[in-house]
Amino acid sequence: MTWLDYPTYLLLATVFWSLALIMLATPRKSIFHKLIGIFLFLGLAAVLTFTISLWVSLERPPFRTLAETRLWYGVFIASIGIVLHYRWKLPLMLAYTILMALLFLFLNYLNPDTFDKTLMPALQSPWFIPHVIVYIIGYAFLGFSFLIGVWGLYLNYKGKDIERVMLMADNIIYIGFAFLTFGLLFGALWAKEAWGHYWTWDPKETWAFITWLAYLLYIHMRLRKKQSHKTALWIVVFAFITILICWFGVNYLPSAQSSVHVYSS
Amino acid sequence: MSNNKPKQKAKLWQYPWGYRESFLIAFFILLTGFLVELISGGGIRMPAWPVNIAIIVIFIIYFFLVHSLIKHPIVKWLSSPKAAIASISAFTLMVLLLGFISQGGNMEDPRLIDSLGLTHVISSWPYLMSALYLLVVLGFTIVRRARTFSIKNIAFLLNHTGLWIVVVAASLGSADMWRLSMQLEMKHPVTTAYDSHGQAYNMSFGMQLLDFTIEEYEPQVGLMRNADFMLQMEKGGKLATVKEGTTAELENYSLSFEKYIDKARKYDDIYDTTSVPGGSHAVYIVATDEQSGQTVEGWVSDGSFNVPASYLALNNELSVAMTQVRPKEYSSDIRIYHTLDEYEDFYIEVNKPLSIDGWKVYQVGYDELLGRWSERSVIELVRDPWLPVVYVGIFMILFGTLYLLWMGNGRIKTKKA
Repeated sequence: MTWLDYPTYLLLATVFWSLALIMLATPRKSIFHKLIGIFLFLGLAAVLTFTISLWVSLERPPFRTLAETRLWYGVFIASIGIVLHYRWKLPLMLAYTILMALLFLFLNYLNPDTFDKTLMPALQSPWFIPHVIVYIIGYAFLGFSFLIGVWGLYLNYKGKDIERVMLMADNIIYIGFAFLTFGLLFGALWAKEAWGHYWTWDPKETWAFITWLAYLLYIHMRLRKKQSHKTALWIVVFAFITILICWFGVNYLPSAQSSVHVYSS
Repeated sequence: MSNNKPKQKAKLWQYPWGYRESFLIAFFILLTGFLVELISGGGIRMPAWPVNIAIIVIFIIYFFLVHSLIKHPIVKWLSSPKAAIASISAFTLMVLLLGFISQGGNMEDPRLIDSLGLTHVISSWPYLMSALYLLVVLGFTIVRRARTFSIKNIAFLLNHTGLWIVVVAASLGSADMWRLSMQLEMKHPVTTAYDSHGQAYNMSFGMQLLDFTIEEYEPQVGLMRNADFMLQMEKGGKLATVKEGTTAELENYSLSFEKYIDKARKYDDIYDTTSVPGGSHAVYIVATDEQSGQTVEGWVSDGSFNVPASYLALNNELSVAMTQVRPKEYSSDIRIYHTLDEYEDFYIEVNKPLSIDGWKVYQVGYDELLGRWSERSVIELVRDPWLPVVYVGIFMILFGTLYLLWMGNGRIKTKKA
């Protein structure tokens, strides 16, 4: 399995998930509504099948390149949307996460990787998988919180009550922030073993720290519940932008000329 | 920042302090930092042992004394969320500057951003002052919560104290850290190590490289454009992995790998096995154009410092070429001499450092020009007496975060119910 086989699986996922989203619009009691779960699952299965087969044929964990991390992001954000939908009945959020997953997967269609088995020696560590997985899960939750943030700002603009939205944002961000913290600290423990120091202000480290600080700011903003929701929601939006810079943007910054985290050049 | 509209607006600097005061103080702290940086120039150096430990002890005593003896509104403000938000914001601003601006400016001929410390943020006064603001607020917050100790407080204290410990130990401990690099040779033991400024240090031991090994990935070949020597690849496509006796497809060519030599020399256009250092990877390929059925054959090699590279021309536009073979793992067998006849041998590889004589020894590099023929191994010697303290902080945060993840934000759930 290589990236050349990817379009087939992407097509399968797109078809299954689109059907699920269309059915989501049907009345609650209709027969179609009951089939949603099956199609959501089939779409996820298609993406997972590709991911796992890629892992097998690469003979290394597919966590190295941007396209590989986007693939996992698609898997996790869709999974989180599905789980949260069945936990709290959030059809609109489900639709958002599925569309977001499809967007990331489609980016891979436009920009696939070269099939490359190699993994530089420093990456061959037991910390590799936990470090990346924990980050991607964190990013998926925080991506979800970004959607909630935008939704909340919209409702606020319309003059509606957003107390419930804020509570949801709080819960999601607590979970996402916990994963960010794990990712940061796992990275530090790994760096000590691989590079001799737990923190070297490598540009990617700096930006990972900035994302962490941004959500830290949100959490402290929310300690006083009476405070302006609008400011807090704008921080959520700003914080997700720092995630995007950390994930994709760092390579283009002047400060990142010699980052140890630029692997895919 | 303050979006709540109090019925009657409190006067500035009237207690209790709110957002305006917290952010003004943050602003003045940064301003002072930048001014001091401009005047002093060149940033600051962290104090080493025992000054650093003295500072920490004084710091801690100060928190407890001030908190228990002085009941001023400012002390109360210092542990308030508003002060926390302002101090996190100021600190985040400094880290953002670090994230955007390329570090390592030239202090001989400083530009304004050099003089303001923005090209060496980490050792600049504004950064230090913002970190201090954060640590003071964090310290008072911890002391306040620690005095009303309860089970519910555990996660809070683990996270906040852990963070305080990590930041303090990592920054104040940095002056006690040693990172030296040593270039080991096969011929004789080396006793000199260098720091990042090129300063030489004589070690109390000598080290000699006994053996250096690189394990490589399998060589790969691809189609190269003759015009610019660039690989021609379909997006998402793959290179062909070379294995003797197999065939591979590249676009509309079928490549048959007839013979592979891991260490080859070139002699009259023919590659042959060699035991002389510097052999290259070479493969004999029969390439068939699947449309016309025409075949070409010949040697393809990546070349080395000792052996020329070879390409197999398919037509005027394209050739088969071998890409650079990548290292999978490299390692060194090292002998350490405590005295001339007292020695021990050990083995290190990337990601598997070893502790020797109070130093942690890392495999970091080799002579990349010679690649697998390198007779030099670069190791790094690290000594960081504050590491255990930093680890205590890291694990406190890890456990605190685990608790947070498990319990969620308790207050929100009860409010929801």
